[in-house]
Amino acid sequence: MATTGYRTRNGNAVANPLQKFWQEKAVTWLPSLAGIVGFLVVWQFLSAVGLTKLPAPSSLFTETRTRELLMYPFLDRGGLDKGLFWQTLASLTRVIQGYSLAAIVGIALGILVGTNRLLNQILDPLFQFLRTIAPLAWVPITLIALPNVQLAAIFVIFITAVWPILINTAVGVQQIPQDYRNVARVLQLAPRKYFFKILIPSALPYIFTGLRIAIGLAWLAIIAAEIVMSGVVGIGFFIWDAYQQNYVSEVILAVMYIGMVGLILDRAMGWLQSLIVPSDRT
Amino acid sequence: MSSTLVEIAGLTKVFPIGGDKTYLALQGIDLQIQAGEFISLIGHSGCGKSTLLNMVAGLDLPSEGVVLLDGQRIGRPGPDRMVVFQNYSLLPWLTVRENVALAVDEAMAGLPRAERKALVEKYVNMVGLSHALDKPPSQLSGGMKQRVAIARALAVQPKVLLLDEPFGALDALTRGGLQEQLMKICEETGATALMVTHDVDEAVLLSDRIVMLVNGPGSHIGGILTVDIPRPRRRMEVVNHPSYYQLRSEIIYFLNQQKRVKKRNARSVAVVARYGLEKVNLEIGFVPLTACAPLAVAQAKGFFQKHGLDEVTLVRETSWRGIVDGIRAGHLDAAQMPSGMPLWFTLGGGDRPSLPVVSALTMTRNGNAITLSRKFYDEGVRSLPDFRDYLRASPQRVHRMGVVHPSSMHNLLLRYWLAAAGIDPDRDVSLILVPPAQMIVDLKAGSIDGFCVGEPWNYRAALEEVGFTVATDLEIWNGHPGKVLGVREDWAAAYPNTHIALVKALLEACRYCADPVNEPEIQELLASRSYVSTDRRYLHLGHPDRLACDIQQPLREYAHHQFFGDGVNRPSRTEHLWHLVQMARWGDVPFPRNWVEVLERLCRVDIFSMAVRELGLSEQLTYRRSAIQLFDGVPFTADDPLAYLHSLPIKRDFTIAEVAMPPCSPRTLPV
Repeated sequence: MATTGYRTRNGNAVANPLQKFWQEKAVTWLPSLAGIVGFLVVWQFLSAVGLTKLPAPSSLFTETRTRELLMYPFLDRGGLDKGLFWQTLASLTRVIQGYSLAAIVGIALGILVGTNRLLNQILDPLFQFLRTIAPLAWVPITLIALPNVQLAAIFVIFITAVWPILINTAVGVQQIPQDYRNVARVLQLAPRKYFFKILIPSALPYIFTGLRIAIGLAWLAIIAAEIVMSGVVGIGFFIWDAYQQNYVSEVILAVMYIGMVGLILDRAMGWLQSLIVPSDRT
Repeated sequence: MSSTLVEIAGLTKVFPIGGDKTYLALQGIDLQIQAGEFISLIGHSGCGKSTLLNMVAGLDLPSEGVVLLDGQRIGRPGPDRMVVFQNYSLLPWLTVRENVALAVDEAMAGLPRAERKALVEKYVNMVGLSHALDKPPSQLSGGMKQRVAIARALAVQPKVLLLDEPFGALDALTRGGLQEQLMKICEETGATALMVTHDVDEAVLLSDRIVMLVNGPGSHIGGILTVDIPRPRRRMEVVNHPSYYQLRSEIIYFLNQQKRVKKRNARSVAVVARYGLEKVNLEIGFVPLTACAPLAVAQAKGFFQKHGLDEVTLVRETSWRGIVDGIRAGHLDAAQMPSGMPLWFTLGGGDRPSLPVVSALTMTRNGNAITLSRKFYDEGVRSLPDFRDYLRASPQRVHRMGVVHPSSMHNLLLRYWLAAAGIDPDRDVSLILVPPAQMIVDLKAGSIDGFCVGEPWNYRAALEEVGFTVATDLEIWNGHPGKVLGVREDWAAAYPNTHIALVKALLEACRYCADPVNEPEIQELLASRSYVSTDRRYLHLGHPDRLACDIQQPLREYAHHQFFGDGVNRPSRTEHLWHLVQMARWGDVPFPRNWVEVLERLCRVDIFSMAVRELGLSEQLTYRRSAIQLFDGVPFTADDPLAYLHSLPIKRDFTIAEVAMPPCSPRTLPV
């Protein structure tokens, strides 16, 4: 009995890592995969029977132009005629610029508002008023106010992304537990030390929540902004251009790019958060 | 050691609670903390303990009064008053080392880096956490976290360590270990500490003094207990110290009292007058003893209602102190009292101002006995002379005996009994106050060696074989007064008809108790939770089964309560005088030069006679004046009490003084 048991265990140990990996992952992935496949099948079916004028997913491969875009994302023929990689990268660059600005301004202002009650009272109504304005509503204003389209696009990103960062930071600072404040008061911590040893670490989870919400919003906003701002390289304008010329399958392809990038951005932010803010805090 | 480190003077704290309203949290707190002292603050939730601590910490400022540290007014927090918070308050993003270092680096910025590092390690090591030095708090248990917090607090070497329920969130086992560790550290470092706690045992174990706060609003210090248990203390050993249970029960009594005050304040106490009686809603205090039978019967059998007292509430107090406090504060209308207590009140016993209390009824006689620990029996002690010889043979040992109250017959009888054999009750033994129901526990624990108390506790000690009855009152003074009905003189003046009705109701109840036919019913009644709450086989009105109550000895007769009869219930001036002489003999009260006036005002024979007449019992309750004679054969008469007092061989230095009794007026009664 003992020997067979040993052998069995031994045999299992060899096959284990792969088997285990498959067993674990299959369970979590299979339903998601089934969902995607099912969605595509229904879509294909609806197009095939003519219930919708939308091209079927298979058109990504059957349409020549689209297939070309799909196969050669790094293509660059100059002007606006660039592969989807470059289009996406251009949009992403704008997002990074606007978003970084939003993060700096949002966190700084958030800490100020969070620590200073008077400032909070002065600015809070203004913030609450501004944050409800949709990104698209900013576009005309920025186009008038700013000298060029590039800057306008960045500003729209900024103004969209700054609110969740600012508000979450402010809340995070206000929510520093009384115990930590008391510790600081009893120890008579110097302001600089209080800032780095207590305020920032304590507010960090809130700040990251704000950052994560903001990155999603920023990505949403850039597409909207680019659609309106003609003549720039970017995935948003690419969609609009394709629609104007009735290349519907190109639109679908671009949308898939957008979705993928959005997902990656969110996951990246989540990963960063888990790296900096350990979840086992007590 | 004796220099005052922290001084709290006239401290009052008012919190705004929205709108124009304010809440008076603390009022008139005065407290001095000596260097090296460990003080506990104890009280119910919301009594302002933590508020007080915060004001010493400087986290909060008093509305009035000052807190001084080394003579300097405390105006803001500082590391010289380091706080250990209940929820540890470690910074989770820093390791143990970094947490402690944060404090050390800030508070001791003057020291070189290496010294600060060594300091951090020293204190973490002191709480036994060197192995966890570089772990984040999230990897530590609750007890370990609190140890880090203590290390952090001690590492900055504060003048005062402030602990806000430091072990409240920990399990009992961890708590016990940490208490010992804290105690050890405090002893080693000579730290001064102020701790807020809910835990009575923790307070007794750790403290030099325990400050008890009464309930808010306007909370103030209700009492300060000094813990005389020598250090170093061990958690398992302090419980054996004779003071331990006394301190513990003192605190528990205090806390219970606070709870009841709260309840009482929530209830309306308007005087209800009805049927020509000035007040029919009465609160009558009693202590659970077999002798509370008349009160229990009057309530259960409707004698109170019969005489118009519709709304009588019997208030169960576990110790005589509860009765004393209730009568003094005026929230008890009347109470069952040990026979000497009305005098004790009147003469200002316990170093309190004189409060005239009168008695119009003696409710019981007899019912007491003296019990000695079984160990004496095992060593051959059978009688008073045996006990005297035993004491003389072991002069180096202190023998403690429990009595319930200085004014109770138990104290006086026990002292008389001991003194009659040449044993000085203050020098040869040590008498301590223990609530009746706690006697057996203390006897078992060995913190007392014997006691004199009312039944059922002697009988029960014998049945449980933890002690034996060395003498019953039948052998000391058969027919001595046991419990009397006592009311404040101003109460009696304000409610004379109610007083008569009350005496009538209780007199009828006494008659009911005296009828042997009713004994099983009364046993059943007394055994219930509202009264004595014990096994009914311990409760006997007359004498119980003779074979049950002794360890092999020729058997004695227990109890023999007398509830009703000729000369039983009438308040007797001679008897009260006997109490007066005995209490003066032992220095409890001064002997009043105006003793005739004192007794005249105290013994309300008029009320008793009126009640007897109205009940038509004059034939049954006759009265014959006679001398009192106890077992030693020395007669006592009311003729010359001072000569008698002088003739006693064993006594304390008594004083003779004119006792100024406040004039009697119903207006002095608190509402």
